Amino acid sequence: MSLEFLNAFKFLKKQSFVHKLDPRTKLLLAIVYTINALLYTEIIPLFLVFLTLIPLILIGKLFKQWIKSIRGLSFLYLIIIILNTLFIEEKGFSFAISMVIRISIMISAFSIFFLTVDPNELALSFISMKIPYEFAFSFSLAFRFVPTIAMEAQNIIDAQQSRGFEMQKKGILSQIKNLFPLLVPLIISSIKRAFNVAEALESRAFGSKKKRSFYFTIKFSLKDWVVSIFLLFFLILLIYIRIQFNFMPEWFAWSFPI
Amino acid sequence: MKNVNFIYPNGTHALKNISLNVDKGEFLAIMGQNGAGKTTLIRTLNGLLRPSKGVIYIEGEDISLKTVATLSKRVGIIFQNPMHQLFSNTIEDELKFSLKNLGLNKEEITVNINTFLEKFNLSKYRDRSPLNLSGGESKKLAIASIICRDPRILVFDEPTLGQDAKEIKFFIDLINHELTKNKTIVVVTHNVEFTIEYVPRTVLMAQGKIIADGPTKDVLSNEILLKESSLIMPQVYQLKNELKNIGFDIPEEIYRESDMINFLSSYLKQIKLDEDNN
Amino acid sequence: MCLIKFEDFYFRYKGNEEYALNNINLKIDQNKFILLAGETGSGKTTLIRCMNGLIPQFYAGYYKGFVEVAGKDTTKTPIADLSTEVGIVFQNPENQLIAMNVEHEIAFGMENLGLERDAIKKKLDYVIRLTEIETITEKAPFEISGGEQQRVAIASILVLDPKIIVLDEPTANLDPLFAQKIIMLLKKIQEEKELTVIISEHRMDLVLPLVDEIILMKEGKIIAHNKKEYIINGKDFEKLKINKPRIYSIFKSLKSESLIQNNIPVSITEAIEILKNLK
Repeated sequence: MSLEFLNAFKFLKKQSFVHKLDPRTKLLLAIVYTINALLYTEIIPLFLVFLTLIPLILIGKLFKQWIKSIRGLSFLYLIIIILNTLFIEEKGFSFAISMVIRISIMISAFSIFFLTVDPNELALSFISMKIPYEFAFSFSLAFRFVPTIAMEAQNIIDAQQSRGFEMQKKGILSQIKNLFPLLVPLIISSIKRAFNVAEALESRAFGSKKKRSFYFTIKFSLKDWVVSIFLLFFLILLIYIRIQFNFMPEWFAWSFPI
Repeated sequence: MKNVNFIYPNGTHALKNISLNVDKGEFLAIMGQNGAGKTTLIRTLNGLLRPSKGVIYIEGEDISLKTVATLSKRVGIIFQNPMHQLFSNTIEDELKFSLKNLGLNKEEITVNINTFLEKFNLSKYRDRSPLNLSGGESKKLAIASIICRDPRILVFDEPTLGQDAKEIKFFIDLINHELTKNKTIVVVTHNVEFTIEYVPRTVLMAQGKIIADGPTKDVLSNEILLKESSLIMPQVYQLKNELKNIGFDIPEEIYRESDMINFLSSYLKQIKLDEDNN
Repeated sequence: MCLIKFEDFYFRYKGNEEYALNNINLKIDQNKFILLAGETGSGKTTLIRCMNGLIPQFYAGYYKGFVEVAGKDTTKTPIADLSTEVGIVFQNPENQLIAMNVEHEIAFGMENLGLERDAIKKKLDYVIRLTEIETITEKAPFEISGGEQQRVAIASILVLDPKIIVLDEPTANLDPLFAQKIIMLLKKIQEEKELTVIISEHRMDLVLPLVDEIILMKEGKIIAHNKKEYIINGKDFEKLKINKPRIYSIFKSLKSESLIQNNIPVSITEAIEILKNLK
């Protein structure tokens, strides 16, 4: 077993237009696309919305990680398709496909966000939204430790497998019981880690009563304004189409015969 | 092990054409910089990682189709951090977990547990939680939880890290005992002083390749190889080289602490004798 | 001037019956390089935690006695205020690095203290040069090697301008050569800034040649604290089951046969010096 799918949400420092955008712009992007995805249940419009994300992924040089995250979800997709096709009598398959596209849109939009937003900048943008520093900081801290804890989890799996522990077991009960050898060490070492981190923070004047200064700052620049305004127009356009849906050409509501 | 390559999904080429033969009953050290491929290499030995190319044979058998669970009966890997594997309520249960999937019956398991608690001086802690053990003791328990399964090949990842002289002594006694049972032992370590003193053969790795493989006393005397592996020459060698530089006639064979003590003490005795004669 | 002072100090962790520290009396001066040695579980880490108030302010427990650092009572002064007097570098660099890039990491402590941007910039540049990490300032903590991580951890402590830096087994996870470089770097920093550095370390072959003083601990007590020469040739050092350098063991054994009369050397250079003179 591998925890590779976590890579889909791990920030990687790269130089690209998407990376240079302000975190708030990218948060807006994720939100706008989520709403877009929820507006429609028809395959064609969802697919068109999905297509508009592809150039962003390419510009952001994120194609590899993005493919990975989608592939990681393939099992879930399969389940959705099978269950819906079997249990929904009318056009179950079409519904399943639109669900899959919907999820893909949301996952892609958020993975663009997580892959390109430096957690430190994220903390700064939270602060700019008047969220207290402690909250913003713990959020970025959580991000910082995702790869570390993923690696630790892998080490634990390796260590337990080396003493004959078998990952796949049949039956819900034995599967739950089977988690203990992995979860207990992970929880214990995470608690220990938390203490170590807290100790290190204390030792560096964290929580000092003095007012905190910020050496790094983020800036909402012209390109952020352009992108944000564009995103809002896009959203309004899609809402408008939704309302006027009956006036759209027929192929817009096309679906599979099953 | 023949022409083994390993490429991580992210493209890191961790093992490049590794070929290595280890005989039954050998005691071997794998040394090299962090990131040289040592941990990847040992993870291929029980199938935790599968080579992208090449074949690994354990006791003459190709292991590519065997599960980790099966292989773990033959190859016991003891990882660096004991806290990554201890999870039971008591120390006894911890060993029971290791023994459970070996197919032993209840009595055999009990006998086995008793033997190993005794052997590792852990009997008095039997009902204690593994979490309350000291660093040295939890390391012992982690080792016990692998050795009790009696694998024929034992692999240790950094066994001496953070351990005191006392604990290292215990460890080396344990290894010597296992060697008398004709076990094969592989140790991954940075500790040159440990290797030169106890381990007969050393494999040196750098950037996914084996850059040296031979008697420890030869490998660890090579300044260029050591530098490439970010290792420091054992002190006996450093002293030997310096002594040569100031004109001492010192035999090549000296590489252990005891050799150096013998050499220097007979040398100093000779000086004393000469002085007394004058 | 006396920087750290322990007087009849006792401490036990909450939920433990045994005292982790037992009647500690200790005085540490300015501008010294000090080794803190003892078997595992002898109380070194606990002692270190007392030096910046982590004990008793962060770790709960019962204490008796008195600890003073640079004139401040560590049981009462907030840890944040003590951080500009004592900096602690912990064993695992991974757990001390909390930011996503090195520059940010080093600025963090100064931001907490509310320093002005220009002041931060100035110190940042100085410390990055001092710890020789110019080439990695843009990188994330998981993109750099263990040795580099520990350098960053040291840098992020140095920017707070402490008078004392305490390191709890800082090189445990490093390759020997990088470990040696870190220890040499610490010596350089200590001399350049006239700091006191206290280091607890398993790799004694690397530190012993450089230290001025040694503190020996056993079972929660300080059993000896003196200049290096006294400790090395003393019985307490001999008896402790710590990892002594090979060179020490060799010459200890020669000395016990009365073949040499000199102090026991802890470095190759010292050893050669002795043998040269006997020739």
